[in-house]
Amino acid sequence: MSEAGDTISQRVEEIYRTESRRVLATLIRLLGDFDLAEEALQNAFAAAVAAWPRDGVPQNPRAWLVSAGRFKAVDTLRRRARFNAVERELANSLENTAVDEAALPELEDDRLRLIFVCCHPALPPDAQIALTLREVCGLRTEEIARAFLTTAPTVAQRIVRAKSKIRDAKIPYEVPVLAELHERLEIVLHVIYLIFNEGYSASSGEGLTRSDLTLEAIRLARLLAALLPQPDSEATGLLALMLLQQSRQAARTSADGELVLLWCGRRWLRGTSARIPCRPRLRRFMPKRQTARRRIGARLRGSTIC
Amino acid sequence: MKYLCLVYTEEAKLAVLSDQEFEQLDADSLAYDNEMREAGHFVVAHALQSVDSATTLRVRKNKLSATDGPFAETKEQLCGFVLIAAKDLNEAIRVASKIPSARVGSVEVRPVRELAEHEPWDKRG
Repeated sequence: MSEAGDTISQRVEEIYRTESRRVLATLIRLLGDFDLAEEALQNAFAAAVAAWPRDGVPQNPRAWLVSAGRFKAVDTLRRRARFNAVERELANSLENTAVDEAALPELEDDRLRLIFVCCHPALPPDAQIALTLREVCGLRTEEIARAFLTTAPTVAQRIVRAKSKIRDAKIPYEVPVLAELHERLEIVLHVIYLIFNEGYSASSGEGLTRSDLTLEAIRLARLLAALLPQPDSEATGLLALMLLQQSRQAARTSADGELVLLWCGRRWLRGTSARIPCRPRLRRFMPKRQTARRRIGARLRGSTIC
Repeated sequence: MKYLCLVYTEEAKLAVLSDQEFEQLDADSLAYDNEMREAGHFVVAHALQSVDSATTLRVRKNKLSATDGPFAETKEQLCGFVLIAAKDLNEAIRVASKIPSARVGSVEVRPVRELAEHEPWDKRG
């Protein structure tokens, strides 16, 4: 392969790493089926590998991938041997609805919608967490199994059952209406914190930490906090807690990747935490009146390391 | 999509309700049926006689066996059902949560499998 081809395949790899879960979340919304969306995602990337060296990387790769994935799904639905009325209808409606590329910023919310689907109270708690880690964060089944201290087949089974229930009981792909939001929030916050923890102390991979996961958890918590009509002390408290922890991220490992204990090294590294709030800003995140467990958590950790 | 809401209660708990409480529960249930009908969710609803009146059938090797009592001896018994139409599970939960008997028992929400449209569940995905 030419040098340019190599660069393009590196670029595809990088886009896969950063964008594939977002593309998947949007495809699940459009297709309403986890497995079909997963297959469409793989096909879309296969199409990208074929087309991009020839045509160049599109300006908005995510929109391109969503669009390609949708067309591939229509193909899959049409090819299926057991082609029934429901699938025919879905294929037709998919073909006739255009993805508005200008509306892409709104697609950001698809991952949040996906979290609310994965954390639906109709699913058992261990399945909620496993499904979120798999579908939203893209963790492998083996990694999830390690976190649960169980075997990969058990986790895989839980995920398969949860996906079937979402399809058969028709759990909708939506952020709940206001009246239900607060009841549903607790599980979602719990799962976001678990994502953060996986990044804070990764169970696999080369590094001690995975900042893609910690930053993603922070991004989701911000999005959630922004969606709430009035500040929720648990949501803002969790955000404060994660921001505080993240501010030490760079100071937690030495140059060769070893863990630096709190009392051995510098607590913060200058210039590495530009987006991290100082204490007065953290205080703004913490509503005064309500008692919130996570707010207290942030306070306690704040007083230990500040 | 249709969802069957199975209403379970402990019959012993229903037995100790006063006449007035029992009538109130009936009146509330009928009122909620009407409310669901007006909102377009109602398909059919019935309360059931006590489990003492139940017969459980099994057909094995073309032979019918009929036994006394409910399918399983549990603390809570099926005492009624409501078949509703809802666009998805969240809407079904919203409608089912207001079934008055949910205050004394529990309501199991089960999506209805449309035989004409879907294939058997054990052969799918």
